[in-house]
Amino acid sequence: MRSQRQRLAYILLAPLALFIGALTLYPTAVTTVEAFFREYSLVNNHNFVGLKNFHDAFSTPAIRQSFVNTGIYVLSGTVLSVVLGIAFALLLRQRSRWRAPLLALVVLPWALPPVVEALLWSRIYDPTFGPLNGVLKSIGLISHNQVWLGSNRWEALVLIELVQVWQTTPLCVLLILAALQLIPSELYEAGAVDGASAWHGFRYITLPLLRPGITIAMVAAITASLNIFDQPYILTGDASASASVGVQTYLVSFQNLNFGEGYALSLIMTLATAAISLLVLRLVYRRVEF
Amino acid sequence: MLVVIWSLFPLYWGLSTSLMSSGAADSLPVHYYPHPLYLSNYGQLLNLQHANLGTLPYQLRQSLLNSTIESVGTTVLTVFVAIFAAYAFARLEFRFKRIILVTTIATLLLPAYATLLPLYKLMTSWNLVNTYLGIILTNTSGFLPLAIWILYNYFQGLPKELEEAAFIDGARPLEALARVILPLSLPGIAAAAAVTFLFSWSQFLFPLILTTDLRSEPATVVIAALYGPRLVAFSLMAAAGMLAIAVPAALALLLNRYIVSGLTAGATK
Repeated sequence: MRSQRQRLAYILLAPLALFIGALTLYPTAVTTVEAFFREYSLVNNHNFVGLKNFHDAFSTPAIRQSFVNTGIYVLSGTVLSVVLGIAFALLLRQRSRWRAPLLALVVLPWALPPVVEALLWSRIYDPTFGPLNGVLKSIGLISHNQVWLGSNRWEALVLIELVQVWQTTPLCVLLILAALQLIPSELYEAGAVDGASAWHGFRYITLPLLRPGITIAMVAAITASLNIFDQPYILTGDASASASVGVQTYLVSFQNLNFGEGYALSLIMTLATAAISLLVLRLVYRRVEF
Repeated sequence: MLVVIWSLFPLYWGLSTSLMSSGAADSLPVHYYPHPLYLSNYGQLLNLQHANLGTLPYQLRQSLLNSTIESVGTTVLTVFVAIFAAYAFARLEFRFKRIILVTTIATLLLPAYATLLPLYKLMTSWNLVNTYLGIILTNTSGFLPLAIWILYNYFQGLPKELEEAAFIDGARPLEALARVILPLSLPGIAAAAAVTFLFSWSQFLFPLILTTDLRSEPATVVIAALYGPRLVAFSLMAAAGMLAIAVPAALALLLNRYIVSGLTAGATK
């Protein structure tokens, strides 16, 4: 009976093992090994080259710049997604008959292809016909039309990331809202009896108890922005000024056909994603008990 | 209110521009709503009226068909594999269970780049470039962990007594799964299916390298290629974009409840 069930379990898991083994774990291992072996040449050279691919990649100014760009994407993306996530979750906290339809609209940007979203946002940033210039002019923040994705690199990076923030925020809202709904209202009542203000309630009750939700939202926002590809690819093409490491990985591999450097960049991205996610889990996560 | 404006404004702006002639869209002062309503962008793209767009309507139509086949294929395969795996994790005892489960879920943290180049080489050597199967297999390997996580959490929430009653009647585990668990798990299956479908429809990077022509190029790749050289008027581009988001938008609004539960599965532990 027992061994029969064991056998059944392994049979049921066989397709999963095939997929994860052949199409996820094996390729990841290949990336890891090839980063140190593949040489850039038209023949398929296969010698141990040590850190040469990493060294070559980092001696290209455009690739060095893409690391700085990705840093800006991650910083601005994580801060904006999580802050907006908390704010929207607090706004959507009240149970009412409007909440379900509201939530459906809020989730919409998450559900749509980033390629099309970037296309739509490109029009908002359009220097001549875009509503961003129109709105900013009408409230007096700027006096004449700005070229948003052109001249100022830092500004362009944040605006490109904003398109991703728009897509990622709904996920952060849902994760934080789920944690928010677990906080018993008695805690706030007790706080009110002790004379705590709304801000104190937020600072000393809500925020600490939201930590698990905020942690997962942060991991979601960090992995999304660290691996950003669609938005810069659509909005600024292969212009290196705002290319992410992801865009450079694609260009190096499929335009320059330099798979060695492509593997090296891929490995860096993989390790960075895993390391930063685990770090956030360690630093921010606290188990909460009610 | 602010939340709704933030969420919908870019979509509204795209929809509004898609309903203007290119002359009206590209004129000043900026029009905040289409007046009069101009449906010709859609008419031209859907081949309902004559247009000098060359093969563009065909490209868009074929790519939307490709997106649909690839997303449905991925969803069916992913949910099928995930149901069996999630059942094993939730209800059966076996050696290395924890390690296999943790490894599976941990692959959620792997970015696309971890597997990008090797999968390209694998698909090339298996002659799966430019095929639906190539895209479906790649997608499935990426989305299985989340589907399993959603279903695993759902199965764990079901009381064990129901199956035990079936076991007393002489049912075997797979019969209990089919007759007792699956009928009760439709919301969980809907959540896993909806999330998988939306992920598939949004895919861009993998199809970009695994497809080179309309045999399997999804809408995301075709739209990016059209938009890249900025040759098509934006109002027409916006209409193409609206056609490309119609299916996932409708799905997201209809299945919202399941998507929310899917995305927050296990998040409250």
